[in-house]
Amino acid sequence: MDRRNFLKYSGLASGTLALAGISSAGFVAGRNKDGNTGFGRTPYGKDQFFNRKPFLVEQPTYMKVGTPERIGYLDHLFRRNAELRYHIFSYGREGFQKVRDEGPEKLPEPLKSYYIDNPSAFEEFFRAMDRANEQKANWEKYKDRYMLAEAWSAAHASPLGAPGAFPREPRGNPEESDFSGVNEDSLKLKSPQHGSRLIKKISHLFGATLTGITKIKKEWVYQGALRGRGRGDFEVPGHWKYAIVIAIPHEWESFYANPTYGTSHDAYSMLRFISGKLETFIKKIGYSARSHIPPTSYDLILPPLGIDAGLGEQGRHGILITPELGANTRLAAVSTDMPLEPDKPVDLGIRKFCNKCKICAEECPGKAISFAGSPYKTVRGYKRWSIDQDKCYTVWNSVATSQPRGCRICLAVCPYSRKNNWIHTIAREADPRDPTGLVSSAMLSMQKNFFSYPGGKEYLPPPEGNNKTYGKPPDWLRTEEWFDI
Amino acid sequence: MFPYSTMLQPIFWMVIGLLTGVFVIGLRYWLKDLNISMNWWKWVLLSFWIVLLAVTLCGSFTLMGENEWTAGYRFLLFFGTVITISGAGLWMILRRVNP
Ligand code: SF4
Ligand code: SF4
Repeated sequence: MDRRNFLKYSGLASGTLALAGISSAGFVAGRNKDGNTGFGRTPYGKDQFFNRKPFLVEQPTYMKVGTPERIGYLDHLFRRNAELRYHIFSYGREGFQKVRDEGPEKLPEPLKSYYIDNPSAFEEFFRAMDRANEQKANWEKYKDRYMLAEAWSAAHASPLGAPGAFPREPRGNPEESDFSGVNEDSLKLKSPQHGSRLIKKISHLFGATLTGITKIKKEWVYQGALRGRGRGDFEVPGHWKYAIVIAIPHEWESFYANPTYGTSHDAYSMLRFISGKLETFIKKIGYSARSHIPPTSYDLILPPLGIDAGLGEQGRHGILITPELGANTRLAAVSTDMPLEPDKPVDLGIRKFCNKCKICAEECPGKAISFAGSPYKTVRGYKRWSIDQDKCYTVWNSVATSQPRGCRICLAVCPYSRKNNWIHTIAREADPRDPTGLVSSAMLSMQKNFFSYPGGKEYLPPPEGNNKTYGKPPDWLRTEEWFDI
Repeated sequence: MFPYSTMLQPIFWMVIGLLTGVFVIGLRYWLKDLNISMNWWKWVLLSFWIVLLAVTLCGSFTLMGENEWTAGYRFLLFFGTVITISGAGLWMILRRVNP
């Protein structure tokens, strides 16, 4: 072979090898766990973060259409269900049927008013309880297959809610409990900007993926019950000036394998430790602090605070979507009177994208998510997306888990909940910069035509579905990989 | 994970750079032997097409790496068709238009 031909054929071989190399680099970029933002990644992993500066706005993207009102504690699904259950049990074994037959009219206040205003929620509660009994009975069939998933969830749930759990629930009035342990010999803070920068650094070091700061609007404070003091209306305490909102994701691989392999408790327990430590830190530098942590230990509604703090925007499924974590964003907050500089909200075009997308609504096994063309419901003075919580809870009681521990399909299928790798980063960066909407239409069309989704009921156990998960469960959650079944 | 390791990652991209260099040298000879005369805009079009090919392969394998196998295949099928058709068009332009 002469020199010319040698160079020609080497060129051909090199080109083929380079393409093969680039393809394998692509494969590794998809597979690599470094693309999993937040969970288990160093707080110094700067490549994880999205530059919000070009998208800062003065007003958040939720729409104020009336006079804002505070949210009643019965609007919180867990609290009203707990209250209704308590009432049912007060009648003993016959309580369930008796209360169901009598209907909302015979309930004590404030349950009676709530369920008369929301009769479908009353019906749905009993449907969910019927499904809960089936779920319990069916667990025998599934307990081997999901043994590791159950253990993974139970392990994360173990630090939650037990008496003496960290951080301790507030006791007494907030004016006492939020100040208990506050360092009275503190030093003068140089400026609120210094305060915000310090708190953000510390919260990242405690494990927060995202941290934003906002003033607390009174409409984001629950009414009718206050932790530490119990039932009864209350004025928003004067020292609840700012909320430090922290966000972390669920572990990504189990998250994609929702509903049966995922759990909410992984994020909840981490949030508990991060916000508890932040509470202690703030008290030790001289300011009041109170943690607000899911699933139930809060007096503030977290998603709108996250929006005000510039972390992201609300999605059709009602959850906060952030550019880094998508809908895999779980929130906690610490309220404080420490002088801080608040962040600005952002407009990343998420609300507009949700108007077109509707994937979560198509995939929801409970039909709990609206298909409307834009946020349609006015809730306490704001027009926004709102899901049917009661239908959602029925799904929790239907999937093949030992107890209702969530579904999270809407979060896993959301196109924003994708890895931090080059292909999704292009979408993330291009869409909010495109005023024509063409990028989002192209992305959505690819999302709908290239990706396959099992579809609504398929996530439920037989006979309605086939226990499908959105993504493939990781080997460490597949019992059959490690045990003889 | 390879090539995302401290030592291998820079070496990997150096090798890819080297292979690309050899490819470009070889390509020039191929074009000459096929009697295709090139000018600046033909080079721009050809480079753009090669980048598109690389991005399509890389994108499809990235999706497969994420366990989105169906999305990866469909991505390859769709953009592969676009690349093949545009490649045929480009080939005709390269051959027929003589600067
Ligand atoms: S968690 Fe499941 S049931 Fe609830 S809204 Fe999301 S997809 Fe629907
Ligand atoms: S799945 Fe689509 S419609 Fe639903 S929240 Fe995500 S982007 Fe919005």
